[in-house]
Amino acid sequence: MTDFHPQVKQLLDGELTLADLAPELRAEGEEALRLLAAVDREPVTLPGTLGARVLAELRRRAEAPGFWRRLRLRPWTLVPAFAAGAALALLLSPPAPTRAPAAVTVRFVLFAPEAQQVALAGTFNQWDPAATPLVRTGAPGVWTATLTLPAGQHQYAFVVDGARWVADPGAPAVDDGFGRRNSVLSL
Amino acid sequence: MSGREGATDGQVVRAVLAGDTERYAELVTRYRDRYARYAARMLGSADEAEDAVQDAFVRAYDQLAQCRDPDKFVGWFFLILRNRCFAERRRSKDVAPLEAAGAVAAPERPEVPVEMAERRRALQHALLELTPEQREVFVLKHVEGLSYGEIAERLGTSVPSLKMRMHRAYDRLREQLRDRAP
Repeated sequence: MTDFHPQVKQLLDGELTLADLAPELRAEGEEALRLLAAVDREPVTLPGTLGARVLAELRRRAEAPGFWRRLRLRPWTLVPAFAAGAALALLLSPPAPTRAPAAVTVRFVLFAPEAQQVALAGTFNQWDPAATPLVRTGAPGVWTATLTLPAGQHQYAFVVDGARWVADPGAPAVDDGFGRRNSVLSL
Repeated sequence: MSGREGATDGQVVRAVLAGDTERYAELVTRYRDRYARYAARMLGSADEAEDAVQDAFVRAYDQLAQCRDPDKFVGWFFLILRNRCFAERRRSKDVAPLEAAGAVAAPERPEVPVEMAERRRALQHALLELTPEQREVFVLKHVEGLSYGEIAERLGTSVPSLKMRMHRAYDRLREQLRDRAP
């Protein structure tokens, strides 16, 4: 039998003192307190270089083959988009490395809670509204597509339900010459 | 006080997410030691704790956009570190039995009497034989000094379930220490 008596467990929990225990439990209580006395509460200090190592690891991954960049969706930037029902594309990456990559992975995000389907059309897919559909994310109303695009300038728009073309309010836009605004992404 | 030194966690998190990656080091510096002892006791050594904390910071960076309340970064970070510690113990348990690995590090501290150092080592070894859930509640209460209520809040569980876990831990520790007694 190795289980501690329930009252001894209360002693270990700090709810009773040794003096509260019945005399026949004192020895077991003392054994329990010896156990607690062996707890090592010495602080542990990690090297001050840890921050530099973490950043080095983040940089290493950011410059990994394929130029995959860590993409981040910033929920608070979606708040104005929520009100407008508009779209935004996020290019999220660590600060530029020492040399420019040949390609950059970009996540496009559209907040369109009423939409049944959303696509991306732009210079990178010959403005084909069927070529690059966005998918719903776990967040209600949020659609995303992730593309790896060559460095350079691209124009694009979101196509909602196959008919409504929506420029990205979070990106600069230019007139397409036909009365619409195209968003501009410079990589 | 400079603006950076006085920046809240939320301000730093937002700056990082906006592309100022280098500022992530501020969060690492601020919190690298806060849970180092927790990790060391959960994993059995300061070296493993260092790896776990570093890895947890990298994972936290990866998932930073999912930190719902950037001003509560540190509580969120703790849960990532916790998952890392749980996964590591389960993995290493599968790979190499503790006895064979001699995994319990016992840093030399001249100020600690030999007998106490030996008892600490035995207890730490016994702790590693608990389930991670049992070990965690023991570490949070008896190493970190949190109350059951504080632990329940941090882990999102109830005090009665924590007590049940802890009381099983006491019994298993007693059994382990008796088995190891000369």
